Amino acid sequence: MRLAPWTVVLSAILNGAVGAQAAPRERISPATQVTLDRLIDSARVAGLPTTPLVDKVAEGTLKGADDERIVRAVRTLVRELGSARAALGPSADAAVLGAAASALHAGVSESDLQHMARAGGDAPRAALASALVTLVDLVAKQVTVASATHAIDDLLNHRANEGQFAALRADVGRDIAAGRSPEQSLVSRTTAQLRALDPASLDVMPRRPPADP
Amino acid sequence: MRDDEDRLPTPLANALPMLRELPELRAEWRADVLREAASPVPVRRVSLSVPWAIAAGLVCAMAGGGAALLATRDRVSATAMASTQAAASVTLPVRFAVVAPKAGQVSIVGDFNHWNPTTLPMRRSADGRTWEVEVRLPVGRYSYAFLIDGSLALDPTAPRGSGDDFGEPNSVLMVRGS
Repeated sequence: MRLAPWTVVLSAILNGAVGAQAAPRERISPATQVTLDRLIDSARVAGLPTTPLVDKVAEGTLKGADDERIVRAVRTLVRELGSARAALGPSADAAVLGAAASALHAGVSESDLQHMARAGGDAPRAALASALVTLVDLVAKQVTVASATHAIDDLLNHRANEGQFAALRADVGRDIAAGRSPEQSLVSRTTAQLRALDPASLDVMPRRPPADP
Repeated sequence: MRDDEDRLPTPLANALPMLRELPELRAEWRADVLREAASPVPVRRVSLSVPWAIAAGLVCAMAGGGAALLATRDRVSATAMASTQAAASVTLPVRFAVVAPKAGQVSIVGDFNHWNPTTLPMRRSADGRTWEVEVRLPVGRYSYAFLIDGSLALDPTAPRGSGDDFGEPNSVLMVRGS
């Protein structure tokens, strides 16, 4: 029986992970491997990158997740990569797709994702990837999805670059460590960024996120 | 007469001198061969009636258009693949460092080493507090974490990913070409 390439990689990963971990781990069952092979194959047929899926299995194995949880995570990632592809188009590379899938996982809607991709315009895809990574990071720091999406969208509209997104992450992180509210920090830091990007406009203010229902 | 010819039967040994002589090349034979080589290959002509010619032309046009479409799609796919492969072939140095003065063993795990805790051990630096390692990575996006004495830890200097798949978040690294 001819093995698909990722099957060989998957087996090597599992063998390596089982042999090396400090705590005892159980191997993924053969039935689960078949399920994972089918998921990865379906992703490949759909033109989606398969490396993130193999990596997700390896991550779950290291973290001691059971088979069901690993399959669920891979299935979710396939779906999110597909949605990211639909939102960003065929030209999005694997890194941007991964960042977009992560944003969807964090709660960003497909329509917001499409909007951000359009807001980026002709800017390098690196800026969009950095923007999405920043969005997910902000949500992980307890900024609401709506606030983070609006801030990132505004910055993309003003052609913020990778360095500016990195600075935003760092500044908000420092503010939170100093005891400031994540939402307040985001508003003030985004305002400062927008003024730096568009100094001619004195009325540059980030759009307020919608009020919580 | 050669030594080995002593062993041949006498009639054969007697015939050997004659067999060794090359036959005379007749001039007319040579001229015939040269004339055949110089003459053009006759072309077989096929004639079609007009309707069949039109039908054949349409089939060829459709086949050509389909081939062009496939070639374009394949070129785009090949271009994207070539670009991905080109990006994958270029690696950039990335230095990871974490402050863990009390740790006994630190490694880094992530998408770039299939989350294997043994392939990228970190070294304690001269100050005794920091653990570090430098790896070369292709352009891309990677989830990762530090493994400090068996426990996973985030990189405080890196953005966090949405890591609720397995209950523990990851750090995220974007490696971009210049």
